[in-house]
Amino acid sequence: MIEVKIVTFQDIFQYEAQKKGRYSEEYKKLSAWIMLDKEDLAKLGIKDGDRVLVKNVNGSVVVAARISDEEPHPQPHPGLAFMINSPWSNQLVGDQVDGTSIPEFKNISAEVAPTEEQVTEIRELLERIRA
Amino acid sequence: MLAVCTGCSLLCEDIELALKNGAISQAKNLCRKGYAHFQSLFTERTKPQVDGQKASMDEAIARAREILRESKRPLLYGWSSSSSEAQREGIDLAKKLGATLDDTSSFCEGLLLERVLTGRLRTCTLDDVRNLADLSLFWGSDPSNSHPRLLSRFAYYPRGEKRQKSYEEERTCVVVDVRKSATAALCQQLIRLPPGGDAEFISAVAAVLEGKIPRTGDKKRMIELGTLLRKTEFGAIFPGAGLVYSLKEKMDLLESLTERLNQIAPFRVLPMVGHYNGRGFNQLLLEETGFINRVSFQEGQARHSREYSIMEAARSCDAALVIGSDPLSSLPFGVARALASVPLIAIDPRRSLTTDAAEVTLPSAMYGLEAAGTALRMDGVKVEFQPIVESSLMPDREILKRIGEAV
Amino acid sequence: MVGAMEVYQLLPKTNCKKCGYPTCIAFAVALLNREKKIEDCPPLFEPKYAEKLKKLRELLAPLEKASETGLIIHEEKCFGCGNCVVACPVNVAADPTGCAIGLGPKSDRVILVVEDGVVKCLNAKECRRFGPNRILCNACTATCPSKAIEFV
Repeated sequence: MIEVKIVTFQDIFQYEAQKKGRYSEEYKKLSAWIMLDKEDLAKLGIKDGDRVLVKNVNGSVVVAARISDEEPHPQPHPGLAFMINSPWSNQLVGDQVDGTSIPEFKNISAEVAPTEEQVTEIRELLERIRA
Repeated sequence: MLAVCTGCSLLCEDIELALKNGAISQAKNLCRKGYAHFQSLFTERTKPQVDGQKASMDEAIARAREILRESKRPLLYGWSSSSSEAQREGIDLAKKLGATLDDTSSFCEGLLLERVLTGRLRTCTLDDVRNLADLSLFWGSDPSNSHPRLLSRFAYYPRGEKRQKSYEEERTCVVVDVRKSATAALCQQLIRLPPGGDAEFISAVAAVLEGKIPRTGDKKRMIELGTLLRKTEFGAIFPGAGLVYSLKEKMDLLESLTERLNQIAPFRVLPMVGHYNGRGFNQLLLEETGFINRVSFQEGQARHSREYSIMEAARSCDAALVIGSDPLSSLPFGVARALASVPLIAIDPRRSLTTDAAEVTLPSAMYGLEAAGTALRMDGVKVEFQPIVESSLMPDREILKRIGEAV
Repeated sequence: MVGAMEVYQLLPKTNCKKCGYPTCIAFAVALLNREKKIEDCPPLFEPKYAEKLKKLRELLAPLEKASETGLIIHEEKCFGCGNCVVACPVNVAADPTGCAIGLGPKSDRVILVVEDGVVKCLNAKECRRFGPNRILCNACTATCPSKAIEFV
């Protein structure tokens, strides 16, 4: 298990998949992942594509791990992870806010551990929201 | 035919479309995002429904009125993907209902846009950037992914009045971010900050502008940046969500920095607006109430408070009308849950997690595709659009009017 | 990008001149410029070079897909941002009131356009990398955020 800070961001290909529909395999594939530094993947003993459980006080979600792809000048960023802003990442964002009432989308503390579970389906996420 | 793209707040007006048998046979000049937006005209369209059952439009509107009539603390949320005409109807409806009104800027570019619209941060148009800017600074923003044509239409590559030699000789691009984004790969300089490190970065910039050595960060890069800033003739700063989430209540630091920079040369701020008419809503609400978002008409006169922000109002409201937005997907889990626990009315052309959880779904026409309207580009320039296909769907301004007729 | 040395390593390296060039390295360069084809080297088809021939075909396969200037577009990576359209010097010269100022092309003498969300190459022969007076222009590849456009 490792601890990371997660920053969420936007991606044009995930947007394209979202515009086709939030319930597609494509949308899940392009949204449900966490990008980790090489060193962090090694610490977890996993490789690109393996599944991880990402968890914090706000919630948890199973996504695919991806190796950081910052080319052509890869700069290591151990302890820092990246996720696409999506219903998956939103499971981890707290709803308690400070004076500005702005949620913490780009500095999410979480634990990451390998898992055998399948990637969380969007229908499951909707069920949790409607529970 | 010529069309306007409502895929993002650039509102590109040079789109050439060819239609055949009701489908798009060829589209020119649409970026990947815009093309996906246009194609979405044909998939996952909503149909009127009430409590999970198919209904007629009249039945759905009747039920929506009922929910709002019975509600004591209604919340009207969304707005940034609606035309200015619809936004006006929405404000009228909120006044009629004594409702709370908030939009997507509330948890994103609102903090920046407020300062721009009230003159505390000086701004300019995108055309000014193309014609005059020799420095474009993307701060916590990645336009290549969010506003794909920003660099090619305005900020870096095109020729302009004072920038005929453009990116080859007369323009520089700098990115300040926590990662090497796609935009960073194109720019001369990437200043990489740790998450939350923007306040320190601002101090470091202030230091190099005074000719001092900064205490933090890559000193060599900061000194280079200082030199660049001092040579700038017209700077354009494009701050995005990354900067907002880092500075938050310390946004005054950005004000002081830009004031200092304006002593060197004009430095203008153009906040990256998330949805195609976000700025339109903020400007309209500001004109009507003196506030850009988070207002309540419960006491008659508009009042502004953080308790009226979507983050808080989602929990305190007892019914919500969500228009052109999918908060169940885009908001933190706890807020999404709170919203899903009250009766929801969703006005949306397309299916989403929010329409799936709503008690009432009202399908609307897509602006710029099926309905005419106006919107404000991210720099405040007004753009008008016409439909490209015929549709019997009601535009949301019409739906809101119908709801308002009998609440 | 494929280099001349890589190609040379897969040739017989005998300088037999059967291709019409004095050396195999010269032939390697000619292969890359598409002035010669693999078939122009008869010795390569002898059984002892079978392995090299196979590898050479694989190495040069991308050139088949590329235009005469060696341009390849990976549509699945393209953002449709138009950076290349606005940066291309041929586009700019042909279309001073369109691409040059950031708009969609108004002239049909341009070589790069964005269609259906991705970039397309038309009139490749107008590209400055083409023909006997070619230069190593890289305006389109250097301005691409995703390496969707590249030269082999």
